Amino acid sequence: MDDTQNRIDAAPLPGTIELARRSNLGVQLLHFMMLNYTMYRLAKSSH
Amino acid sequence: MARVVVLGAGVSGHTAALYLKKRLGRSHEVIVVSPGSKWNWIPSNIWVGVGKMTADKVVFPLAPIYRRKKITFHQAKAVALYPEGDLNSPRGQVEIVYTDPTRVGKTVRLGYDYLINATGPQLNFAATPGLGPDGGNTVSVCTPSHAVGAAKRLAEVITNLKSGSPQTLVVGVGHGTCTCEGAAFEYAFNVEQQLREAGVRDKAEVIYLTNEHELGDFGVGGMTFSSGGARVTSEAWMESLFRERKMKAITQAAVTRIDPGVINYTQIDGTENAQKFDFAMLLPPFRGVGLTAYDRDGVEITDTIFAPSGFMRVDADYTAKPFDEWTAQDWPKTYQNPSYANLFGVGIAFAPPHAISRPYATPGGLAVAPAPPRTGMPSGAMGKVVAMTIADMILKGALTPTHHASMGEMAAACIASTGTGLRHGTAAAMSMSPIVPDNARYPDTNGRDPRTTTGEIGLAAHWVKRVLHTMFLYKAKAYPFWYLIPE
Repeated sequence: MDDTQNRIDAAPLPGTIELARRSNLGVQLLHFMMLNYTMYRLAKSSH
Repeated sequence: MARVVVLGAGVSGHTAALYLKKRLGRSHEVIVVSPGSKWNWIPSNIWVGVGKMTADKVVFPLAPIYRRKKITFHQAKAVALYPEGDLNSPRGQVEIVYTDPTRVGKTVRLGYDYLINATGPQLNFAATPGLGPDGGNTVSVCTPSHAVGAAKRLAEVITNLKSGSPQTLVVGVGHGTCTCEGAAFEYAFNVEQQLREAGVRDKAEVIYLTNEHELGDFGVGGMTFSSGGARVTSEAWMESLFRERKMKAITQAAVTRIDPGVINYTQIDGTENAQKFDFAMLLPPFRGVGLTAYDRDGVEITDTIFAPSGFMRVDADYTAKPFDEWTAQDWPKTYQNPSYANLFGVGIAFAPPHAISRPYATPGGLAVAPAPPRTGMPSGAMGKVVAMTIADMILKGALTPTHHASMGEMAAACIASTGTGLRHGTAAAMSMSPIVPDNARYPDTNGRDPRTTTGEIGLAAHWVKRVLHTMFLYKAKAYPFWYLIPE
């Protein structure tokens, strides 16, 4: 039985702090650098 | 002088060709055979499909790059392999039919010492009646021209919405065995953002229709990762995102037929449903490109080299066994064909040993089983390791493959765009290690390393996706120091 839509309807929504974090330029710039480093490290260690 | 023929010029084949030429220099010959004249950065097709990027930004002509790198290019389609040669010569041969307008239809046989099959998939729209843009009732973003058609149709739907007519938009996969659910997911969210920007979101219903058993599966069995310091499943993560964007989802579905304005699908509990739509972008299932193979005497040996799906058999464990007995170690490491040591299959062209997501079927036996994704980052890695192995065989006389890249060991990062824009863009960045869960190595964390399996939603992930677009086009164009950019 596909209850996906019920689960979506009951899923938690991101709070104000989380929404602000996702678009805050300073925080996102830091995350941008971290994501790039993580991806580079994963790619170099994979083969 | 050794000759290496690469069939296909997608991420995997193009990467292999560039690394081969870099290692082999002018002393050996590298030939690329591809039916298309252009290279396409497929991940950005989704932005073309919503009208945010023009098609010319995601493609470039291959011939000038290959001319500059001294790689021979044949714009042609490979149709048959002769791995033992013929009665005149024991050298392997591949038969190609030119698609180049100057000699279209002409057939020749190319001899080779090593061959890499990187043909990618055949887009199997025919698997579902009514699927696809060519004679069907849905649009696609699989190719740049498909994506342009999708953007045009989406613009018409937005016009209808602006005139007050409610519209239903369905985005997802068009068959129970499709792969690349991540691409459909991305397109669904970009469509949703486009509707919001046009000021018509409240009049539109956006539905994600998928063969995944639950949201966040993506054909890799889902993930459990750290996000914001907490452990969370990709399923819960996606459900929250769908609620946030007021999108609906239908999972566990095998689309069986698409009539004008109606998608017919069956779910794993056997219920048969019909979903009306005004706009539908459904991805097709993939199969091999239909290469046939013959031995020295001309006897067909296609079944020896290729799996029934048309993908090439490589060094995987293809023994049939229950899903719970499959392991990460079943996955190929060298991509060498077990019958012919000078044949390799990479990217989508190799036959996966088993599904990564648990396969299901309807009571009537219809498969609802996402196929394993083998695109992007792993695809490029496979192309590189096979190129390195062949270079070692030619230059150092290596008798066995010297480089490995198993999806049971390698990590992958997936940046799923959920809306574009330098200031208001957003994306879900997911990394997983390994791609194929290794439950023996990571028994308590669903087979993946908790330190490197992570999720992140935000503007930064969109910037990363945009940077990847620029970087990979730079790398694919083989500009100076292209090889410093990892796959």
